[in-house]
Amino acid sequence: MMTIIKETAPHIHRKDSLARMFIDVLIALGPVTITALVVYGWAAFRNLAISAATMIASEFVFVLIMNRIPYDGSKHTVKEQFLHGCKAFRIHHWLAPLVSAVIFALIMPSNSNPGYIIYIALVLGAIFGIVIGKLVFGGTGQNIFNPAVVGMVFAKLCFGSRYVYGTNDYVNAVTSGGTILSNVSNSSTSLVGRYAAIGDISTLDMFLGRIPGTIGETFKFAILIGLIYLLVRRAADWRVVVSYLGGYALLMAIAGIFIVTKVPGVDYWHFLSFSLFSGGVLFGATFMFTDPVTMPINAPGRVMYGLLGAGLTVIIRLFGALPEGVAFSILLCNLVAPALDYYTYSGNRFTKRKIIVMVCLFAVFALAICLGLGFQEAITL
Amino acid sequence: MIAKAKEIHDTKRILGEQPTLHLDVPDELFSATDNARCGNAEMFVKEGDHVYMGQLIGMRDGRFFKQPIHASCSGTVGTYEEHYHRSGKKVKFLKIYNDHKDEWDPSIKPRSDEEIEKLTRADFAKILEQNAMVGLGGSSFPTHIKFNNDKKIETILINGVECEPYINADIRLMFEEMEKIITGCTYLQKAFDCKRVLICVKKKHGELISVYRNYLKRFKGSGIEVCPVGNFYPQGWEIAMIKSALGIDIPTGHLPSEFGIANFNVSTVWGIYEAVKNNRPVCERRISITGDGIRFPSNFVVRLGTPLPLLLEKCGGFKHHDKDKVFILGGPMMGASLPSDDCIITKTVTSVLVFDKEELPEAPCIRCGSCVYSCPTGLEPKQIMDAVKAFDKERIKALNPLKCIECGLCTYVCTSHIRVTDYIRRAKIFAKK
Repeated sequence: MMTIIKETAPHIHRKDSLARMFIDVLIALGPVTITALVVYGWAAFRNLAISAATMIASEFVFVLIMNRIPYDGSKHTVKEQFLHGCKAFRIHHWLAPLVSAVIFALIMPSNSNPGYIIYIALVLGAIFGIVIGKLVFGGTGQNIFNPAVVGMVFAKLCFGSRYVYGTNDYVNAVTSGGTILSNVSNSSTSLVGRYAAIGDISTLDMFLGRIPGTIGETFKFAILIGLIYLLVRRAADWRVVVSYLGGYALLMAIAGIFIVTKVPGVDYWHFLSFSLFSGGVLFGATFMFTDPVTMPINAPGRVMYGLLGAGLTVIIRLFGALPEGVAFSILLCNLVAPALDYYTYSGNRFTKRKIIVMVCLFAVFALAICLGLGFQEAITL
Repeated sequence: MIAKAKEIHDTKRILGEQPTLHLDVPDELFSATDNARCGNAEMFVKEGDHVYMGQLIGMRDGRFFKQPIHASCSGTVGTYEEHYHRSGKKVKFLKIYNDHKDEWDPSIKPRSDEEIEKLTRADFAKILEQNAMVGLGGSSFPTHIKFNNDKKIETILINGVECEPYINADIRLMFEEMEKIITGCTYLQKAFDCKRVLICVKKKHGELISVYRNYLKRFKGSGIEVCPVGNFYPQGWEIAMIKSALGIDIPTGHLPSEFGIANFNVSTVWGIYEAVKNNRPVCERRISITGDGIRFPSNFVVRLGTPLPLLLEKCGGFKHHDKDKVFILGGPMMGASLPSDDCIITKTVTSVLVFDKEELPEAPCIRCGSCVYSCPTGLEPKQIMDAVKAFDKERIKALNPLKCIECGLCTYVCTSHIRVTDYIRRAKIFAKK
């Protein structure tokens, strides 16, 4: 039977949906996941399966708790409550944790010593990430922090010393144990001296992922395919990707000038490619910085967010106690994002004032690098 | 998809390039007594009276202007009936039984060219007021008010953009009534004593542009030009059109006339021609009837006061009888939806759309930012939505929702299918308080 329905304008919608966004991200994660599965086999499958099952189960429990039958005087059985909750479980309730879970699985190591630690790390990290990182804020779209990064950082802080970055036929360890960045940072007490050894690692090996690292973030070629897919499908905001990677490359180029003059035997271009292709910079720029929920909502804010992330990553990498700066810079940027959105000055136009702020932000980080590296003593081998 | 909405494609191409069909005048026509802009009306005729076509039968009372009501056919006056008006409200309509003679009121005489030559701006305003000319593009703003000031006008923009998708009644009008529109433009030049007239057309209507350029070769030096503008939505919004055509950015709260610009819709220009040359009020208009719920979408010239069900019948009725329908008067982006098909075509109905209702459940907002990128006024719809949900009046006011033109792009682009525009409308009410 036909009825005439009244609705408010507009009456047409763009061909687009939330599920499509999530599926796009999953497709973009495809090349990395497949490479990880091929190279690490069981370890990669175990990571993916455990984290996906844990995160989706957590979200399901959350939906059950949040969607109880409203009080109407009569008593409801557990079964009725359960079925009512299941009805509220919609497509984004499992796609969103699945995306988080795949990202989380890919930034976890392949093994641990002793071996059972990795299972604990995966389960606890996934639960902590999704519950504290997302669900306590109210679920999809409400979170301040990226759940995958929260889980990863939690697991790393708790079990980090037990991690083993595995080697096999494809991945040959340059030096035993640890990622290349942690090897580099441990190799010398001097700040600039740690870069003396980077000549041993070829750019091609880094590009193809033939270096130890977490199971996903080392395969740069696969990540780049995903990045291009995301940008073509507009599932990621190019402003953040460009400002983050551009800002990072520029700041590292400035740092490179000091490092090349102070450390003998380091090639400038090799230093730059080492900076870009080591660690999680590309993975973070592709899948974690582009998470729209945790970034500012307008274009100038997003550019500032990318620049801030780039600066923090560079500072942590060069001067920090930890070898890897991407995860921490993502969390710190997530904290700043609501401030960039504050209503008294937010707006989508690139006003003169905002451009000055961006330039100042970049200048502050550049100055920090110059001051930090400029007073270092030169190394003589 | 995190992207700005530029062009809204009429992907279904339902209407195509259909010529306009002339519809037989029905036996009963309806004339609205009051409308959205004018609260009450006084009628001068009673049941059983004979009226001529174009005869003054009543007077609507707006707050700062009066608007005459004219009969759109000759015949006998009937009783009052309640039907839906374009604005979505039920309004009293006066029924007129058509005698199919179409006798014009004897007092209406066409003007000769010499007479028109002598008219001043004030005379134009008077003629348009007497003929109840309103913006036929859908705004229903009384046209004579645009003439009733002494501001120096340097450029006249004719809006032939037709930026809403699915509709092409204005484009057909521009093809079919080219001479009248150009003559109307020369009248406007005379009224405002200005040389430059730009007819704004979307770039993608290449055929229309070349037809007009060819025709305008006869009027070398007249100052009338065709100005291709962008294809995006909302290009038909006057401020966006002025920006693309002249490069002038008009700040919110200012009128284009302060910058020496006057703009008119093409159908209004056609109406001005009729009013000035033939001294006739608008008695018929072009409308598109389209949408995926209609069997044979078509363009029509209809007499004002035609009931909508009759038109739907001419279009072959509904396509899918089992699906729920949405009835829209106006374009798909800004048109008002009606709770019933019992509606009368009035002067400002540009189109009727019938869509099959599409259920798109809302998902949580993931702050993708498409609404912020798409907003033509530079607002942040998502932030306003959050403020409305929090009842934070201070924040709502600071976010300036009164700038919103309700173009509907924020809902159109929303990845999560949230009806963001509704929240902005609520924010406007908050901000006005």
